[in-house]
Amino acid sequence: MSEQQRAWRQYICLACGLIYDEEQGDPDGGLPPGTRFEDIPDDWECPLCGVGKSDFELYEPPAAAAAPPPAPASAPSRDGIVIVGAGIAGWSVAQAVRALDREIPITLVTACQGDVYHKPELSVAISRDLASEQLARESGADAARRLGVRLLSDTFAVGLSPALRQLRTTRGTLNYRALVLAHGARPALPAVLPASLCWRINHLHGFAGLRAALHGATRRVAVIGAGMIGCELAEDLAQAGHSVTLVDRQQAPLESLLPAPATKRLARHLADLGVTFMGGVEITALSADANGKRIDTRCGQHLEVDEVVAATGLITESRLARQAGLAFERGIIVNARTLATSAEHVYALGDCISLEGAPCRFIEPIARQAEAIAHAMLGIEHPGYGHRTPVVRLKTRRLPIVLRGEHSPDQPWSVVTDDPDYLLMEQRRDGRAISTLSVGQPRTAPPSTTLEMQP
Amino acid sequence: MNSAQPIAPASADADEQFLDTVTGIADGPLAGLANRIDQEGYYPLDIMAQLGQAGALGAHLDGNGQRFDLAIAAMQRVSRRCGTTGFLVWAHQVCGLYLEQSGNPALSGERLAAHSQGLRFGGTALSNPMKALSGIERMALVANPDGDGYRVNGVLPWVSHIGAGQYCGALAAVRDAQGNDLGEIMFLLDCDDQVELRQCPAFAGMEGSSTWGIRLNDYPVTPERIIASPARPFIARIRGGFILLQVGMALGVAEGALESMIDVEGQLGHVNQFLDDRPAQLQAELADMMQRLATLARTPYDTSRDYLLDVLDLRAQGAEFALRAAQSAMLHQGARGYVLSAAAQRRLREAQFVGIVTPAIKHLRWEMDQLSREQWPQPREGAQ
Repeated sequence: MSEQQRAWRQYICLACGLIYDEEQGDPDGGLPPGTRFEDIPDDWECPLCGVGKSDFELYEPPAAAAAPPPAPASAPSRDGIVIVGAGIAGWSVAQAVRALDREIPITLVTACQGDVYHKPELSVAISRDLASEQLARESGADAARRLGVRLLSDTFAVGLSPALRQLRTTRGTLNYRALVLAHGARPALPAVLPASLCWRINHLHGFAGLRAALHGATRRVAVIGAGMIGCELAEDLAQAGHSVTLVDRQQAPLESLLPAPATKRLARHLADLGVTFMGGVEITALSADANGKRIDTRCGQHLEVDEVVAATGLITESRLARQAGLAFERGIIVNARTLATSAEHVYALGDCISLEGAPCRFIEPIARQAEAIAHAMLGIEHPGYGHRTPVVRLKTRRLPIVLRGEHSPDQPWSVVTDDPDYLLMEQRRDGRAISTLSVGQPRTAPPSTTLEMQP
Repeated sequence: MNSAQPIAPASADADEQFLDTVTGIADGPLAGLANRIDQEGYYPLDIMAQLGQAGALGAHLDGNGQRFDLAIAAMQRVSRRCGTTGFLVWAHQVCGLYLEQSGNPALSGERLAAHSQGLRFGGTALSNPMKALSGIERMALVANPDGDGYRVNGVLPWVSHIGAGQYCGALAAVRDAQGNDLGEIMFLLDCDDQVELRQCPAFAGMEGSSTWGIRLNDYPVTPERIIASPARPFIARIRGGFILLQVGMALGVAEGALESMIDVEGQLGHVNQFLDDRPAQLQAELADMMQRLATLARTPYDTSRDYLLDVLDLRAQGAEFALRAAQSAMLHQGARGYVLSAAAQRRLREAQFVGIVTPAIKHLRWEMDQLSREQWPQPREGAQ
């Protein structure tokens, strides 16, 4: 087959899950439609998160089932598959199941409208002036129609009895053949930050609220929490022209993830953008009055702003899992290969799960988790999900920060390159590099490092 | 049991003995009266007095060791034989809870003792207020400050387990002379000659619940009648227990239905095997609910969101379960269940009542929806 005839391929960004489609190209990034992946120049960047071409890999979208498999003479149950949550995880499972089986009933329960969007875009969308309608790639109703899914929108899952294969919702009780929990994680708000006074950018609805509150004026915004999301939002809000103060208990932004040389560069970068970093402070009160909102700290400082955005981390809601007796430790504990929970016929994926005692809240693994679950639920042979630590890319556009490999907070970092524009560090174990951290862009190609990545 | 004196947690033997006594009353005199209570409006105060003497009306009170599990189990035994009497037990139990939790010596002393022993009777008029406080409808009674008390006016359409000389817990919205909203009070409404009890229309069943319309015309609420002022924190505190107790009604009616399915298994099992909701399936679901009920009954005054959601979920599931079980029992029994005196067709109406009595299935779902929603900042004034 000649190059011209070869079918168009798709490639997935391992950091943010964006899909590069050869047929469509990336016109904004200078790649006309029809640009083959191998023809993409090496300095091309992911249009969403900015990692390079080497962090993409071939993506094979689940094919549509050729023909519905014959119904077994005695089906285990007349009930279909029920999915809780309509984020990327929930829709990925619906899609993966449909690719294998066109007939099995699928019901998707979601607290929102189920609109399909790419969540990482939320932390860079204010400066791009994107409305939530523009971020939604497809309405929930359209996606449900396309995939043959019964969508229960504006519906909360309130009770689960695995022994009865019964999920209770605010719109009635559903019996399932298999259940998939894809409800994600919710913002962990400290008691001092009342939900009625601060925005959380964890889904489209919260984003739309913040955007409406900021629209059409320059606002004073406090971003609480200088983790990944907090730093990305601070940059995004500053780029959009708002006056941003980034507040954290730590002395430097991203201190719990990055070594000091990297946090120093990040702090300088944020300062250059006009972000005021208020580190080493503990908030004791957040209150509202006619002029806006007021933040008080233990050390006696106070801050007056128009809007407050909390980026204080995520926590998995445990009530449903606890009620159902599912094993839970900072997330729903799942089998690392099949994504099965401790209860029969109940699976979980995405932000709500815990793998080896820790949550893994990244986009890239979700499609592979969904594939594994779809096969397991339908009883189709599959090698299973293989967990590997995703590439971490901070969506700070002017100062790319990328973490690769099995980085560990306990392991010391050593400097490989320390130029004014570029910092490269690594962690080594047994004489081999296990992870690398790059901050900024090298003027010349970075030295190659070999990583012992997990398969 | 003596509600005035706290007693040590009873032993397992004592629990069993207590439930045997309750079962004896339910399976004995009550079973024979069930149809008269349902259709002819026989108000079984004689049975209620026996249940009171057995301790079934006060087991959940702090003074008796806060045994919500036993109070619910007793209601369940009663409801197996007669849903109406199960409902009366619930109304009586929550009224006792109001009296005790009020902390008002005029209510929590002898009055409570007589109430919990079944020497005096009273129910609850919180159907409208519970919905009003949730924002579903408007508060029906209005109280105007008057001296050290209030004058209350308004109409409540149906209040059960009341009658001349009886009483019920009620709520009123407080307004000053200018009509300003001053919150709510909760009080004990004595059905004396200042209260007009109005006949209700004939109901499809549950006629023996002694349900009346109440009209109040400047009814005086003196300090000794106050249960709580302000009422909202009190309601927030008792809401879990109030709803949890109702689960006994739902599960009792369902258990009765299950029994009548099993009764005909020998004769009709060869054809009943083709029906949905078979006894084994329903029993598994019942066991699942009983297990959760046992846990929730240990902390009836937990006001956390998660606890309340668990209680609302169980109550809603119980109501749906009672409806399914009653329907299935009817189909399992066939024509014999359709005889006018058959328990199977009476239970259909009892189960329907469990599904519509406040909080009804729809209200429970509405409440769970409200509790599950995220809170957000208010849009700024002038924001686009």
